[in-house]
Amino acid sequence: MDLTLIVALVIALSLVFDFTNGFHDTANAMATPIATGAMRPKVAVGLAAVLNLVGAFLSTEVAKTVSGGIIREGNGGVQITPQIIFAGLIGAIVWNLITWLRGLPSSSSHALFGGLIGAAIIGIGVQSVDFSVVFAKVILPALIAPVTVGVVALIATRLAYFITRRDAGKADGRGGFRYAQIFSSSLVALAHGTNDAQKTMGVITLTLIAGGFQAVGSGPQWWVICTCALAIAIGTYTGGWRIILTMGRGLTDVKPAQGFAAETSTAATILASSHLGFALSTTQVASGSVIGSGLGRRGATVRWGMAGQIALGWLLTLPASAVMGAFAAGFTLLGPIGLVIDLVLGSVIVALLFRQSRRTRITHDNLHDIDDAALVVNIKKTPRRIARRDRKKVSL
Amino acid sequence: MIDWGAFFVVAGASLLASTVVVSLYSLGLRLLTSSGRALVVDPASFTGAITVLTPKRAAKEAKRQRKSATANPLTVFQKRLALVGAYACFVLCVGAVLYGVYLIVPALHR
Repeated sequence: MDLTLIVALVIALSLVFDFTNGFHDTANAMATPIATGAMRPKVAVGLAAVLNLVGAFLSTEVAKTVSGGIIREGNGGVQITPQIIFAGLIGAIVWNLITWLRGLPSSSSHALFGGLIGAAIIGIGVQSVDFSVVFAKVILPALIAPVTVGVVALIATRLAYFITRRDAGKADGRGGFRYAQIFSSSLVALAHGTNDAQKTMGVITLTLIAGGFQAVGSGPQWWVICTCALAIAIGTYTGGWRIILTMGRGLTDVKPAQGFAAETSTAATILASSHLGFALSTTQVASGSVIGSGLGRRGATVRWGMAGQIALGWLLTLPASAVMGAFAAGFTLLGPIGLVIDLVLGSVIVALLFRQSRRTRITHDNLHDIDDAALVVNIKKTPRRIARRDRKKVSL
Repeated sequence: MIDWGAFFVVAGASLLASTVVVSLYSLGLRLLTSSGRALVVDPASFTGAITVLTPKRAAKEAKRQRKSATANPLTVFQKRLALVGAYACFVLCVGAVLYGVYLIVPALHR
């Protein structure tokens, strides 16, 4: 098949993946401010979309190093072909849509890596994948990051409630955390834009280089940057409401102080890790901090069944998308007809998933179903026991 | 293998940063409340996590809060001091956000 056509197909698929990445990850930044009513759902996803768009233009550092390490390419290594990237992308997109349908926040980057690894194993051979790098850079951080950030969020939540505690019946001003939530979640959205749009730019650039359309070692071209930024922003604005529902309400009921503590821990961890060159999955960090903050708030319950489902989703993401990528790569070995089979099969699966999703529609309307009920609200109180000797103490 | 040194640095930095920022903002809210100007931010929209009150109960709640605000044992000077402290905390939080933006935008620190 004509090389130009394959490259064009890969670029189109990359943009589709970028779009799914956007709507998969809206929840990371915006689930908690939506859950606590800090922002209206539409406003929140709009803000996230704008920040992702801006973030995509800020840096191309990640794009330049996206393929670094995991697949041995270049001198002495193996030649990664556009067909393999094509197959990997199909695997990643299908897995992203499956987890979205289940409302599971899973890492889009892991889906992308998994798809590429599976495709490379079938298309080139097992020796093409550096498993020690996969273990150290992808699997181990996925286990450690959520636990670590969960502990951080737990401590931060405890602190927030401890500092703002007042005697029962007195105003504690905790609603004021809603303002802070806007800023902390915006930082997460901006950081997400600088990271995740880059990954797609990196993939497209890799394809252009592999196809000989671009000099080896050069950065992404301006039209690649623009289209990737737009694709992720549109995806973010579309909003994966299923995942927002899971993160904002499915794991634990989020309150303003708790949401602020969770978002701050997420932002701090992502910024610290990406600054020290230790990339972590935004999704896993955000979910871990929501669970941790739920553990930190008195009277909050964490729904461990849901947390277990999410953890299972994380464990499955890499192998499942690898299997799908491998299948897609298997077809590409047949030649041009294989690419057509891949495209048709992929479209049919995507169409089926969308049909399935129409049966139980979840939009921003489901999130605030009692919006017009009243204007004054109270957040469910969790009674705090006050020691007898403290009862008369005047609190500052 | 995994770089444990880098991992502990990340864990430590995020623990330090989030506890400091959360403490500062909480302290700001606390001081604002004790200066008699509790920040009231009603939710922009209602989700299942928020209980909606009947108007009657809401009025009762508002009255109780007003009462607790007027019964402030602090002197005028102490209230002012608390207010200044609260604003100082919020300014530091704004600084933290700006530092976050600085870290995100590579053009600023490379």
